[in-house]
Amino acid sequence: MLTLDDSTPDRHLAAEIVRFTRSTTRRHKRSRVSLSERFVDAYSWGLGIAVSLTIAASFVLALRNEIADRSSAGTGIIGAQWLILPEPVLWTSVTYAFLLVVSNLARKLGPVTVGGPESIWWLTLPIDRRPMVLPPFLRKAALTGTGLTLLYLPFSMVTAVNRTAPEHLLASVTFGAAGVIAVTLAAFQQLGLLGPRIGRVVTMTALLACAVLPTASSSPWPAALAFVAAVVLLVLAGPRTGEVRSEELIRGGAVAGHAGASLFMMDSNEVLRALGGGRKTVDGGRAAGFFARPAGGPLRALIRADVVAFLRLNPPLMPSVLWLVACVAMPLVEGGLPEFAQLGIIVIAGCATASGMGGVARKAALVPELEALLPLHPALVRSSRALMPCLAMAVWMAALSGLLVLLGASDPALIAVGALAGIGMGAGTLRSATKAAPDWSAPPVDTPFGPVPRAQLGSLMRGLDVTILAMVPVMVGLYLGYTPLTVVVVQALFSAGIVLLSVLSKPKKA
Amino acid sequence: MGSVLEAEGLLVGYAGAPVCGEVSATVAAGEILGIVGVNGAGKSTVARTIAGRQAPLDGDVKVHGLLIDPDAVPFRRQVSAVFDDDLFFPSLTVREHLLLVARGHSVADPEGRVEEELDFFGLLGRADAIPDALSSGQRRRLLLAAGLIRPSSLLILDEPEQRLDPIMRVALGVRIAEHARNGGAVVLVTHDPELLLATATSCLVIDHEVRELEPVQGASIIAGS
Repeated sequence: MLTLDDSTPDRHLAAEIVRFTRSTTRRHKRSRVSLSERFVDAYSWGLGIAVSLTIAASFVLALRNEIADRSSAGTGIIGAQWLILPEPVLWTSVTYAFLLVVSNLARKLGPVTVGGPESIWWLTLPIDRRPMVLPPFLRKAALTGTGLTLLYLPFSMVTAVNRTAPEHLLASVTFGAAGVIAVTLAAFQQLGLLGPRIGRVVTMTALLACAVLPTASSSPWPAALAFVAAVVLLVLAGPRTGEVRSEELIRGGAVAGHAGASLFMMDSNEVLRALGGGRKTVDGGRAAGFFARPAGGPLRALIRADVVAFLRLNPPLMPSVLWLVACVAMPLVEGGLPEFAQLGIIVIAGCATASGMGGVARKAALVPELEALLPLHPALVRSSRALMPCLAMAVWMAALSGLLVLLGASDPALIAVGALAGIGMGAGTLRSATKAAPDWSAPPVDTPFGPVPRAQLGSLMRGLDVTILAMVPVMVGLYLGYTPLTVVVVQALFSAGIVLLSVLSKPKKA
Repeated sequence: MGSVLEAEGLLVGYAGAPVCGEVSATVAAGEILGIVGVNGAGKSTVARTIAGRQAPLDGDVKVHGLLIDPDAVPFRRQVSAVFDDDLFFPSLTVREHLLLVARGHSVADPEGRVEEELDFFGLLGRADAIPDALSSGQRRRLLLAAGLIRPSSLLILDEPEQRLDPIMRVALGVRIAEHARNGGAVVLVTHDPELLLATATSCLVIDHEVRELEPVQGASIIAGS
């Protein structure tokens, strides 16, 4: 008979198990990849990174010089500003929003996790789990800190042209440390040291303070404070990582694995599905009365089902509102970004908001056999599926255009143009939902500019292409500062064409 | 002998909805509880809940008088569960997987025990193969070997006969019975009437109403007679 022994598990044994697994894995990998292959890999990666960094650096420097050289007034999409937002407020808000995104992602992806095989072969062993989960957690925290430090450097150079080089560096280090704090606070929530609600409040408060710190980069103390806070939190959380419950470890690992694989395959639909997995559950009761009402015919029944499904899947409201606020706040800054940069950010905001509205279409695209069962033409089915995204995006774009008109960016006709653009953008989500995963085995096509992976790019851009296209006329209206009838007509034609293209084109098959 | 597993008013399911009736059962050391039922009845869900892999909707499950907690070291030491988890370290060989479990459970002479299990499960010839190079039946044998190489006072097996050839099924039945003879308790979810008859000392039929029957009656339910 075995004894019910609850003696302290042997940490050395756990470390030995981890070492055994890792060293065996390394040995196996080394045996499969030759030295020359590794050299080619390292060379390709190095070259790719160097080229990307060069392009990014030249873009950042050009933008910085543009900002430094231009006059402070009359260069944005709002010609005569009657409401001015202090520049530090906007950039601090952007920093804060970014830190909240980091914190949210950290919570969704763990941050303390194990992968699939580890969950079966490690977690069931009667040993301390700390050596299994602590090193990957520390690695994640360090990578987040380093990545955010590098990412903040160009942001600091563009948004604070008066800072000296050491000040840019200090601000970046502060931001990197803030990222580590966000990750560690997510680990605190995993450990149950902070409840879900308290955890959110504490995280939001701590990150607000962290978002302000980079603005005070003239002194080394804010960076030192953020760095010490990050280290203290890591020291507090690290020794307890072995106490994270297996359910949490497996959940985070599953989301991270799914999202990582989707990113590797560059399948944006799958990335959204992976990250949406941890969202609040589908509201099965919402709009039940509306759904229960008798429907006159299959099309009306389908439209009703799609409307209810859209409402029950909880389309992301907060990100849509935040993007709206960001788009409105950005042109209010005195001496802010140049006009084209402002328009570019509005396009990015529009694409990001539209992608959140395609949940029903993406889920429906997973089981095309269900649609085949409906006694309706596939184009009618796709029209029904596009209805709610079109409506939601029309409302969002009308709200954005209305606010910009209120601030003096254009005349009231822009609101109608914005609403029309929203319809096209909503149809773009349907096109995006039915895109096939890129076929990386297809050879690139020779062009005068060299080989181009046209098939893969076509697959990646499906949906996004028409969403951007739908925004072109409204952007022209914003650029002009008034809305000629031509812009209204062109916008109507663009949106109608995009809707027709989206509902009439068959889904791409992998 | 004292009871190893006690389930009292156990309700299992997903998203708050139960999949079968309440389960109440006791398994003492040396006993083998067979769990049978039609597809989708909730057998595996009951087994997963007893193994601590999902939370019960209601009721209690105790192992050695303590409420189950899959994160507690004593629970992990006492309970060995084999489900159809086709997840392996892609770079570890069959032998290395078993060695990992044996060492993790502080088995005396782990290398020797690994060789014994490889021999029993007919995996000696594939001991240095990685999981991707194995057939599905061989992967199943590896999972079973991992569940049996380690000491445990409660062994939970979810349809262990799946993907095994008839000879291996018989050998597995002998092995399960031996585990019970050595003082272990076993929960065996199965669709195989012969395996049930060869091993089980009692039987639960999972349905909207859970009934405790003799293994012979359980076997005839599985056989559809």
